[in-house]
Amino acid sequence: MLSEKALELIKELDRSKDGKLPAFNEDIIRKVLEEMNTLFQQNQRDVGEAAAGEIRYFPSIHLRHAALDRNKRCLLAYLYNRLERIRAMRWEFGSILPADIRANLCEPETQWFNRYNKNLASYMRSLGEAGGLDLTQDTKPPKNLYVEVRCLRDYGEWEVEEGDTVVLQKDTTHYLPLAACHHLIRQGVLEQVE
Amino acid sequence: MLVSDLRKEFYDVIKGKRILVLVHSDIDGICASKILQSLFRADHILYTVVPVKTRSDLVSAFEQHREQARYFLLLNCGGCLDLVDVLSPPEDVKIFVADNHRPLDVCNIYNGDQVRILSQLGEDEEVPAFEDVFREEESEDEDEDSDEEDGKRRRFDEETLERRRARRQWHQQRHKIIFDYTQFSYYGSSTAMLMFDLAWKLSKDNNELLWWAIVGVTEGQVFERTEQDRCVLATGTLQGHVSRLNHQTQDSQPLDCLRITFEKELKLALYRHWSLVESMRHSLYASTTLKLWTLRGEKRLQELLAEMGLPLVQCRQLYSGMDVNLRQDLRSLLEEKSEKYGLPDLLFPSFSASRGFRIKVGSADYVYSAAALLEPPQKDITPTAAALDVADCLAVGREEVLERGIEGSKQQLSAIYRQVQTFLDMNQVISAGPFLYATVIQGTPDAWFFSAPHCLTLLARFTLRAHVSVSRGRKSGALPLVLTSPDVRAAQPDTCLVCGIPPTSEDSRRNFFGKAFEQAAEKTASRAELEFFDTNIIRLSVDDRSKFFDALISLLS
Amino acid sequence: MSDNEEDIIEGSDEEGEAMTASEVLQKLEEAWITERMSPTLEKHQSELVDCMLDQINQMSENLKRCKKYDFRLAIHKMEIDRIRYVLSSYLRVRLEKIERFAHHLLEKQTNLSNEDLSILSPQEAAYAKDYASSLEAHFQNLVLQHVPENLRTFDRGKMSVKPNLDSYVFLKVKQATPGVLLEDDTGEGRDEEVDFKEGSQYLMRYKPIMELLQSGAVTLI
Repeated sequence: MLSEKALELIKELDRSKDGKLPAFNEDIIRKVLEEMNTLFQQNQRDVGEAAAGEIRYFPSIHLRHAALDRNKRCLLAYLYNRLERIRAMRWEFGSILPADIRANLCEPETQWFNRYNKNLASYMRSLGEAGGLDLTQDTKPPKNLYVEVRCLRDYGEWEVEEGDTVVLQKDTTHYLPLAACHHLIRQGVLEQVE
Repeated sequence: MLVSDLRKEFYDVIKGKRILVLVHSDIDGICASKILQSLFRADHILYTVVPVKTRSDLVSAFEQHREQARYFLLLNCGGCLDLVDVLSPPEDVKIFVADNHRPLDVCNIYNGDQVRILSQLGEDEEVPAFEDVFREEESEDEDEDSDEEDGKRRRFDEETLERRRARRQWHQQRHKIIFDYTQFSYYGSSTAMLMFDLAWKLSKDNNELLWWAIVGVTEGQVFERTEQDRCVLATGTLQGHVSRLNHQTQDSQPLDCLRITFEKELKLALYRHWSLVESMRHSLYASTTLKLWTLRGEKRLQELLAEMGLPLVQCRQLYSGMDVNLRQDLRSLLEEKSEKYGLPDLLFPSFSASRGFRIKVGSADYVYSAAALLEPPQKDITPTAAALDVADCLAVGREEVLERGIEGSKQQLSAIYRQVQTFLDMNQVISAGPFLYATVIQGTPDAWFFSAPHCLTLLARFTLRAHVSVSRGRKSGALPLVLTSPDVRAAQPDTCLVCGIPPTSEDSRRNFFGKAFEQAAEKTASRAELEFFDTNIIRLSVDDRSKFFDALISLLS
Repeated sequence: MSDNEEDIIEGSDEEGEAMTASEVLQKLEEAWITERMSPTLEKHQSELVDCMLDQINQMSENLKRCKKYDFRLAIHKMEIDRIRYVLSSYLRVRLEKIERFAHHLLEKQTNLSNEDLSILSPQEAAYAKDYASSLEAHFQNLVLQHVPENLRTFDRGKMSVKPNLDSYVFLKVKQATPGVLLEDDTGEGRDEEVDFKEGSQYLMRYKPIMELLQSGAVTLI
């Protein structure tokens, strides 16, 4: 069947909807491109003949052209969808991705990510007049200035405000300003107690 | 230094500053820390809470955090240790201590500045006077030294001799006073109650905090730590608070909020979450009075149930599955029959809490559940994580933790019952002269439950009462019990836990085993760790056990 | 805010009237709700944004100078946090829409005659341009280079995503507007005319009320 491999790419993305980005499937992409080239060459051959007036080649040319279009669309959709997920990761994890996710990106995707980072950073800097606003903070409406947190693993010393440090030991409970430990809660070192 | 006004000398001092709280892994301490945590949150006082279980935990936690805060609060730990000596705090650090263990160390009471004791001493607790314990010794020492240096040239004049004799006498006196003071260890009033008082004075008290105070006080009752009259007083005070905070009718408040009621409660462990028969079998009071591990005891139980008109089938199924009419009449039926079957104290005044449409849970149920959570049957939970579990089970909206604790408690109580049955069937409770003695054999599968302080104490009390109820002579009622069990939870192999409890005939709950263990260990140079804050429990190396006990016997006879 | 209640700030109304800080916050919150509910990108309000950012910075400076009276300090800090949250959320929603409709918006931008009618602020326009070109470069690099020649172009028209102006929104009428024309989308010629009474609420497609929204006669809820 034509365009089957391209559909596989889409299915792969569809199955991994829970947020994990599967590894960049260079293999299948290459196969799809090969298929496209083969089809194109076949078409070229037939077009030559069709121009000479042979009508019976028209349907096959149309079919191949349709397949080529579909392949291109699948490929572009695959790439675009991966980019969307990578973009979502920037907002979730910050500008440095965890190692296991980075392993699944191909080189151009990493470059795109860096470029996106830079773009976003320069936009955020340009807001207002005094150095800008970090849009990746404040993702939830603020409820309280201070929050009670529990330490899930040993982390060592952590600075809370100017001069004050806290020793984060496993199973200790702390009451700290939200601004100071927001980052650690996102990372999973601290857990908020309701 | 003793603090009289908690509000001025404790709370106002720490406002706006950071405080580090070291809380002992017992239910009263954790309840007290929860009350304080909610007070601190209201006033934005930054705090850090670290659970500790043994003395070495306390010291290492203090070491780790000593740079972090200027104010420390010790809940239910450290009162009986000379804190300045053990912790050597830096100059500007203030340590507040709220400990329900007694006797409090005299160095802590008379320390001028660094150690401040928040617990209130009762009228019956006599602390040695300052002059009897401390004394200006500098000039004396110098003379002493110069005497030594001169060696042969001793001065025989009257004055020096007189002074030396007075000094020796004073020292002997002091030794005796301190010995008398520290001989018996016991418990004062609940720390959670103290913290609730503070909340009340700050007008920040509410039903939640009151419930935590109630659970803290109930721990003293269930584990028979506090004296009877103190119990009664505490219950009376709490009842006053309950009626103050709970006088509105059901309709005017949202259904979801906590309602506390004061009523007479049955002394049957977890009877609302278990079947009636099981609960009777595993409760200390009912089981030992009716002797439910014997055939005759079983028959008597069935007689009792038949007389009350409760069908056996229903008594064997879960309490919540029993007929509603039977459940409502249960208390009055039992009250009628209690005299005849020798269970006069079956009903006692207690508190229970209900929230929304959930079943009522009694404060004793919470205590049992928390005790099981503190010493879980699962092998992979650390003591600090267990303490956090207890804090969770007291919190609102975490009923599944409470349920888990109740299931764990059922396992614990079943294990205790099985072990007591083994002890009595095989006559393993032997008299060793001045006390009774029982050992849990190495390799018992239930030994995992008993390698923990709360459970071991419960087992000891159950065993002693059961033994007293079956033994023919009067003597056993007057003898204390020493129970040992292999410590399978400890890091080092071949250790056992030794627990001593006072005899049943005595009303007073004062326990002399703390001091006795200490002296016996010293005399025989055994490898004993006096690690726990409840001094009647120590950890001992198995090889030294026999010589330790010989020394103990000779000490106490 | 109590310290700055009386401060008159140079907010930019069209008539050049100055607005107080609380008025600016009010307008900003309205813009925030509109932006979140609307299927398309609304006109940018960068003056309000800049104004509020300034306010926040000023308030932070003031608070640093204050001594630690816990109560007032806590309340002011909370207020700053709230304003910052509204600002962040507003700008984030706009960024998301810009990224989704990147090509479409850039096309509209280039066709504009007047700077003032631009929906994107200058910074947003720069961001959009960079984003679009990074997408194109990525596609080019990975796929389009290797495809047969006749398919190599990146057809902007096909690739761009247009906002769905027919999605339904809730709206509340602020000014009575008689005779609003609702075109029928089934093509059966059943056009309707509705009179909007002040204070009434409707659920309808976005397209017919687009201009009314821009003129301020209705607000999205």
